[in-house]
Amino acid sequence: MSIPRLLAIARKEFRHITRDARTVFLVTVAPAFLLLTLSYIFSLDVNRVDIAVRDLDRTPLSRALLASLTADGDMVIVARVEQEKEIESLFAREIADLMLVIPHGFADATLKDAPAEMLCTVDGADAIAASQTIGLLESRVNEWGANLRVQRTNSAIGGFDVSSRAWYNESLKSLISMVPGMMAIILCMPALALALALAREIETGSFESLIATPTQGVEYLLGKLLAYEISGMVSVILAWLVATLWFRVPFRGNFFSFLLLAADYMIASMGISLVIASFVRNQQTAMFLILMVFFVPSFFIAGLITPVSDEPITRAIALGLPTTHFITICRSIFLKGLGPSALWKPALTLLGSGIATQALSLALFKKKLA
Amino acid sequence: MRIWNLVLKEFIQLFRDWLMTTFILTLPALQLVLLAQATNSRISNLCVVALDLDHSTASRQLITALDNRSEITVCYHPAALADTHRLLDQGEATLAVVIPSGFASDLADISRTPSVQFIADGSNNVPASIALSGAQKAISAFAKETWVFGPDLAPTIDLRTNVRFNPEFDIRFYSIPAQVGFIIYQVTLTVASIGLARERELGTLEQLMVIPLGRIELVIGKAIPALVVGAINSLFMLAVAVFFFGVPLRGSLPLLFVLTLLFIATEIGYGILISSIAHTQHQAILFVFVLAMVDIAFSGYLVRIKNLPVALQAIAQIVPLHHYLTIIRGVMLKGAGLDALWPHAAAILLIGLLVTTVAVRNLSRSLD
Repeated sequence: MSIPRLLAIARKEFRHITRDARTVFLVTVAPAFLLLTLSYIFSLDVNRVDIAVRDLDRTPLSRALLASLTADGDMVIVARVEQEKEIESLFAREIADLMLVIPHGFADATLKDAPAEMLCTVDGADAIAASQTIGLLESRVNEWGANLRVQRTNSAIGGFDVSSRAWYNESLKSLISMVPGMMAIILCMPALALALALAREIETGSFESLIATPTQGVEYLLGKLLAYEISGMVSVILAWLVATLWFRVPFRGNFFSFLLLAADYMIASMGISLVIASFVRNQQTAMFLILMVFFVPSFFIAGLITPVSDEPITRAIALGLPTTHFITICRSIFLKGLGPSALWKPALTLLGSGIATQALSLALFKKKLA
Repeated sequence: MRIWNLVLKEFIQLFRDWLMTTFILTLPALQLVLLAQATNSRISNLCVVALDLDHSTASRQLITALDNRSEITVCYHPAALADTHRLLDQGEATLAVVIPSGFASDLADISRTPSVQFIADGSNNVPASIALSGAQKAISAFAKETWVFGPDLAPTIDLRTNVRFNPEFDIRFYSIPAQVGFIIYQVTLTVASIGLARERELGTLEQLMVIPLGRIELVIGKAIPALVVGAINSLFMLAVAVFFFGVPLRGSLPLLFVLTLLFIATEIGYGILISSIAHTQHQAILFVFVLAMVDIAFSGYLVRIKNLPVALQAIAQIVPLHHYLTIIRGVMLKGAGLDALWPHAAAILLIGLLVTTVAVRNLSRSLD
């Protein structure tokens, strides 16, 4: 292996990247841009509940209940329903999340201290949102009922003294935990670009002329890898700046160990794209495979939102994805301030899988040349 | 007739690469199986560390009450606070519950209020909130049963809740139709966006231009193979969702299929637009990637549209994926028909016409 030849390949690859402003943008700036957009979407902790109301009681008390439910704007009355049927289309178009029916005699029953009945129909299509909606409604209704009783009987309300705290993200804001997790996902992009660059040379035929040069397989692959690893690190730094300066996500760890582990992640993710690129013949297939095998599973099973599943097959696949480990690393360094000593396990997994996939791709590559 | 020759050429080109053909026809369904399998029907058994400093019958009962909740499982019983901290640091546990010494005696004394401490690992807020709310419910249940000096918690209002469409609260009923939508989206956009960019890059676009074909014919010829692939994929995936995962199909299948074709056609319009902007396949692919991330973000799946600020809600209205997901949920889970869903269908149609028109115009300019 000759280092000057390797560097020559890397230089050629840089020229490919920098020749066109669009490619430069897509390889380096796009991840930061995506982090910016996606994090905005995730940063919203508001959970608005839209309710349709059918008030058959029409008393000051029923109106007082509705007014107290909607007082802080978390619950909004979007429709007054005259007939039960109307709710069908409100649910189908997702205009209302629930319908509240206050029956005749609601106020009378409440004042007589017989539990007053109230009906609530919830759109259960989104199970997580539906259970949150029910929880919110129940607690508001019970609180209102308890206050009413306190006012009438002068009894005190109290309960267990529970002190809840959340470490690392005191107010449990989505933004704080999503931005570091999201970084792992958007930083798949440099790996995608590498796979495409390799497939392009085969597709457009320029690979043939490279074979005719004295360049060896190792030099060729490592040269490409070097160019994309470096442009990938540019996007890591840009994404880090967006996370810390724009979103003000706390960064409690050490910046250099973060850079080191990010480079580690680049090696592992680029290993996957090298393997994929070594048996595809065009860019379309390469892209399709990267999306299906790497990117979309990363979004859903790598522990970004819900924790990694216990189901053995899914767990094995999730642990095979570099993203799973890098999500853990990002969150641990940003929020928990852990150092490399606590993160050696995911770090070594990434390094090991990176070396293994790159060795495999080299073997496949030699076979292809032969 | 001329169009059909072009369509035939496109099909030959698509199927000549057998690797790509196999992937494009089988991977989407496989991926759906994987993703659906990976989504548990509910988030359960989050790991809890219980630090019992009281060592009494009451504290053990409380730990049992915590363990009885389906969302959480007590999996560590450390002896010291330091171990609790370590487990949270390493991400081994989502929640720590500390029962202070004197818990049982506080419980038996009318003048005192028993206390408990929760510490959640907030580095991922979703499981943290679920574990916290589960633990709160366990405490309420425990208090109701064993705390004789507790307040009267009998409710004043008897709230009867009726859950429509999904009474078992199965998360998959929501996630599987959405994943069907995502996968159809990916496949059509990939196939459609690359076509022209590839011809340009390989130099065959020149040849295509000297053929007596109008630009609209060219676009239609390019669009048909992607439409066919998308249609086959969507039927395949709907079958997997319904027969394999038991997601109900309560509405009309023909209606869903027609609206799916409309959605696919719109995405093909986007694909051709990208194709006409990008100079190389490399660029086309990276554009698709960026567009796909933005579209998934605005699809209403991960974050509901109504929780977005007004300006972002407006952007979501021009994302066809958002309308399509509402449609597929409406038809499959809610049995809705066109009478309820027409605004979403009309929105897709409008976006599709607009995008395709821009794409065709842009194409003629880039051809010159």
